[in-house]
Formats: sequence, structure tokens, C-alpha cells
Amino acid sequence: MRGAWTIAMAAVVAVALAAPSSWAQPKKLVFWTHWEQNPEFNKFYETRGKDFAQKSGYEVQVVTVPYQGYEAKYLAALMGKSGAPDIFMGMTHHWCGQYDFCDKMPADLAKTWDENLPKYIVNVGKWKGVRYGIPIEHGNFQQMYIDTDLFKKAGLDPDRPPKTLDAWLAAMKKLTVLDAKGEPSQVGFALRHKGHPVGITDKFLPFAHAFGARMLSPNLEKATTFANSAEMVAALQFYADLVNKHKVASIAFPTPEDAFGQKRAATIFRESWFFGWVKKNAPDVAFKVYALPCGKACPGAGNLFPWTNMVAKSSPSKQAAWDFMRFISNAKDDLDQHQAQGILPVWTANLESAYVKSRPDYQSTQEMLKQPVPPEYYHPKSNELATAFGEAVVAALYGKGQPQPLLDEAAAKMDRILKD
Amino acid sequence: MPPAYLKRQRRAGLLFVLPAVIYFGGVFLVPLLESVIGSFYRTVPGGATQFVGTRLYVKVLTDPTFWQAVGNTVSLLVMSVPVTVVLALAVALGLHRLRSLKARSAWAAMYFLPFSVSLVAAALVWQWIYDPVYGVLNYFLGPALAALGVPPLKWLQSLDLVRPSLALVNVWARLGFDTMIFLAALQAIPAEYYEAAAIDGAGAWPALRRITLPLLNPQIVMVAILELIFNFKVFDTVYATTQGGPAGASQTVIMLLYDTAFKYFRLGDASVMAVFVFVALLLVTLLQWRLFRRQVEY
Repeated sequence: MRGAWTIAMAAVVAVALAAPSSWAQPKKLVFWTHWEQNPEFNKFYETRGKDFAQKSGYEVQVVTVPYQGYEAKYLAALMGKSGAPDIFMGMTHHWCGQYDFCDKMPADLAKTWDENLPKYIVNVGKWKGVRYGIPIEHGNFQQMYIDTDLFKKAGLDPDRPPKTLDAWLAAMKKLTVLDAKGEPSQVGFALRHKGHPVGITDKFLPFAHAFGARMLSPNLEKATTFANSAEMVAALQFYADLVNKHKVASIAFPTPEDAFGQKRAATIFRESWFFGWVKKNAPDVAFKVYALPCGKACPGAGNLFPWTNMVAKSSPSKQAAWDFMRFISNAKDDLDQHQAQGILPVWTANLESAYVKSRPDYQSTQEMLKQPVPPEYYHPKSNELATAFGEAVVAALYGKGQPQPLLDEAAAKMDRILKD
Repeated sequence: MPPAYLKRQRRAGLLFVLPAVIYFGGVFLVPLLESVIGSFYRTVPGGATQFVGTRLYVKVLTDPTFWQAVGNTVSLLVMSVPVTVVLALAVALGLHRLRSLKARSAWAAMYFLPFSVSLVAAALVWQWIYDPVYGVLNYFLGPALAALGVPPLKWLQSLDLVRPSLALVNVWARLGFDTMIFLAALQAIPAEYYEAAAIDGAGAWPALRRITLPLLNPQIVMVAILELIFNFKVFDTVYATTQGGPAGASQTVIMLLYDTAFKYFRLGDASVMAVFVFVALLLVTLLQWRLFRRQVEY
């Protein structure tokens, strides 16, 4: 009997030692995102990861990396390979173009996405024609959010928004309230003036595009004559005048989102996620969403930050990672995930869903999508180029110089970056 | 002493410092060497690296943006270092004169507190203090400014005020640490020196000039060097508050280095900047050490 016990114990120990480590803990796919403002959206990966685990044995762990400085963390991990995520969110032209960190998407999955994306984002997630990333945000273009109460207070009809830049400027003047010292206590437009110049460029581009300007040549090889064109100079003059001449925007105000949420600014240009943000953070703000006002051109659906989900080339579980992506690549998941956060879904099939139709930006989105797609700048050096350009924009806002020389200098610098 | 004993002692000494040497080598020397090597390579699209000799040195050292960042750093340094050192010395002298040990400890702890706070957290608090609309600073200064006909100041959003504002944060953050060093050094000066000086008829000022300051020289030089290094490498406060803005007015060398490496993915260019910072700090420190260090014995 004692011998049998000994053999049984030895067998248990042997099995325990021989068992793969995965018995001890479930296998994990690590997913990095820096969309810290969208926690419900991120949680969805974990929730569906649990369903995925039942058939694959892989759970999904979401790690939210703070947006400020996310590049450093991503780069260190992806270069070092150790501790790198299996799936990560970012811009394809950076991580797959400037670097070679991305795994090519399996052909069947790429086909699924190519067939189900709205036309203007089909190229998002591709580098040199090859699909690496899955676009995650359809409404990733700025639209005009207006505070309806402030519009009414200023004697403006919130159902008849300004359609042209001239009409918009006139409305902004009515919406601006100056104090005894002539400083605005409420502004018409919440303008981005702080933070990294890349973000400042992003917020200025709709104005540039409305003036018919573009930051780079269509083949993205040249900046001079584009970034400093007469149209761009006029656009920057218009933009700087909002602060310095008309005082309908202020550099004393905090971030534009806060200014809008605190009812200190009557309009803001932001993407579809802002709808969910206002609902959550400033529920007392009554707002409507409209297409951006037009100048020479109407700024259509375009963006500087085409966010996508990619699979790391170095991941030891890339097959499972792609299987998970395939698992959630369907219209229902797309709708559920985006609806949970209040973001526009990506799949064409969902663009006419009850959820999308009930959103305040349904009409404006349709209107924006009808416009020609504005210039896109999906270049591996887009951050550096946008920084050089943004420095000119912010310098004009702060009265550090005139638009023409500032843009000439920026264009020359951008050309040096492009040539390097 | 027998040679065997000395040999054993030497070996023991080496073994004692070995962990520190390994740590220093792994954390400082290896990255430094990597930076030097990296400064001769550029990353090409696709992620590969390419040897380019000194090309990146020429590129970075002829880039006006880089020199603007150097200028901003030096200007921050000039505003912060002397103020911190002089103020810390003054506070330490004041604390040293307090007879009550409890009071001295309480005051010292208060001065030291900012040093123990995370710089990023402190910077975020200061960002609110400086806020032109909601900030407590403008709230208190408002009436005085209004009386002078000056609009509320845009501390961190002003091209002229942003660096002095950041310098003030640095002074606030570092004052306690420097004060502690001076205070400890002051307490180590024998009281007999002052008694002898008093018998000879020396007042407070001559005693400070002839006894205190000369005997504090090693600490003053050390604190000045530490402050110089801290301010040259300043990153957290700038990153958390202005990100180098407005219009590049507060972009320091380390901020630019960070952006170059991690935002623009130019690791070679960033390595050149890292080497520049290392060499510049080394030279300035050596120079400072040579010029200001005095050996004083009484």
C-alpha cells in the first residue's frame, strides 16, 4: 500500500513538472492602446477576448498606455522585442513604414476589410499597398460641434449653422464676450494652441483645406510651393486673426475640449469620439454637430491620425493574434464596440444602423462624406513634418511673425526632412 | 603589513565595489557607449540602420532648431541655478541660526517637501497655479495687475514668461535639497572658529565672508554642479506643462532629444544630441570644478 502511495505521489509530481506552463495560467494576447479617452472601447477587446479564449485558449489583456509619450514605450518594446505587445494601436505608416514592426495581414482578413470599409478609409492601414492595420475609427475627421445654448443666447439659430467661413467668422464674433479689459471671457471658437505642434497642425488643417491649400505635394515628396502657397498663407492669416485681430479665440484658455465643456467656447472642431466625451464629461452642454464650414473648398472626411490595430511581427502568438482580429472582424462587433463608447462604427454596413442614425452627427457625417476626400499625409515622417509646419502655425498664433516668412521657413525645413 | 593580508584586503575592497561598478556600467556606461555608436548610424525606412560617419553631427550641429533648444536650456539654467544656490544658502543660514531644534527640523522638512514630490505631479499642480483664467497666481496678482492696467498674465502661454515661470518651478523643486546640503555643512563648521572671530572683533558679515563661505566652498561647488546638471537635463516639468511651447520657447535640449528619438524616430540624431549633452556637461563641470574649488583649512 505504501509503495502504491509513493508511486501515485511521484506520478502527480512528474505530471506537475512536465505540464506546460500554460496549464498554470491561460495564454494571453497583450494588446496595447493609447486611446485612454475611450475606456469602454478598449474594454471590449477583453470582453470579447473571453469568448475567444473558449475556442482558442487565448485571453486578451488590454494595456492602456498614456497618450503622452506612448511612442517611446512602443518603440522601446518593439525594438527590444521583450515585453512587446502582440497587438498594438498606432499609425501604419509609422510602425510599418518608418520601422518594420508589423506583420502582414492574412489575405482573407485583408479582403474582408477592403470590402467592408467606407471608401475614404480603405487606404488607412496600408503601407505601399499592403494591408497591415485595421482602421478603428470611421469618424476620425473633424466636424463642427456647437453649443446650442450659447448660440441662442447670442441671438443665433443653432439649427442654421454657418456654412461658409465668412458666415462662421461673423457668428464667432457674435458668440464672443469680452470683459471690461477687452479680454474674451467667452470665445466663439475653442482653438488648439497648446501641446505638441503635431496636434496644432492637425487642428489647423481643416482651415487650410477650406482655403484650397495642402501641406505637401500629392506624391508627398515636396513641401515648398504647397506648405507656403498663397492659399496656405491666407489660411494661416485667417487662423491667426481669430486670436490676434478678431479675438474670437483665445490662447489664455485651457485645452479646447475643456473650454467647450465649461461653456467658455461656443464651437469646437473635433472627431466623432468627442460626442461620447461631451456626454460623459460635460453632460449639461447641449450641442449639435454640423459639417465644417466651407471656404474655396469644403473640408471633407480626412485626418492626420489614421489609427489602426496592427499585429507585431515579433509576436510569438501572431497567428492567434490574427485569429482574434478575425474573430471580431464583423459588423456586429464593430457596432457593439463603437456604440459602447459613442464612436462612429467603421463598417459600411453599420453606417445606416439605428445607432448611427440616432447620433447627432449622422447628417453632418453624411454631408462630410459627400465632399471630396481632402489631402492626406500618410508619410513615415508625418510627425516630423507636421511638427515643422505646426511650429509656423503656433508662431503665427502667438504673434511671433507673419504667415508668409513663417511658412517659407517651415516649407524649407519640411523639404530638408523629406530629402533626408 | 603582510602582503597576503593586503592582497586579501584589496580583493575584498574590489568585491565590495563590484556591485556598484556593475550597476554603473550597465545603467550608465553601456547606454553611453550605445549612444556614441548610435550617433554614427541613421535609421532608414524599414527600420534598418546605415553607417553615415559624422554626417549626423554636421546635420544636428548646423540645425537652428537644435541651437534654439540649447539657447532655451542655457537661459533656463541661468535663471534657475544662481537663484537656487543663493536662496538655498540664505535659507540654510537662517535655519542654522534657529536655536530650537524642533523649529529647525519643522522648517527644514517644509523646505525639503517639494523635493520629495514627483516632478511631473508638481508640474501639473504648477500648471494650475499658472493658469491664466483659473490660476491662483493671477487670482492674487489680479488686483495689483489691474491697478497697473496690466491684463492677467499668461505665464506658461507667453513667449516671454514661459521660461522664467518654468525656472521658478525648478527653483521651488530643488531649494529643499540644496538647503539640506548647506545646513549639514554649516553644522559641521566648529563653533570655535566663530568664537575666535568674535573675540577678534569680527561681526556677522566678516564671519560669513571669512569663515562660513570659504568653509562651505566644496558644498557650494558641488551644489552648483548638481544644479547645473539638473537644469541642463530638465525634462519632466517642461514635458508635463508646455511640451516645449509656446512656439518652441521652452523646448530644451532633452525635450528635443526625446521628440527626435521617439516622435520622429531618428535615433541617430538623438544620439548626437545625447553625446553633445554629455560632453557639454563634462566640460562645464570640469571647468567649474577647476575654477571655483578652493581648499580651505583653518
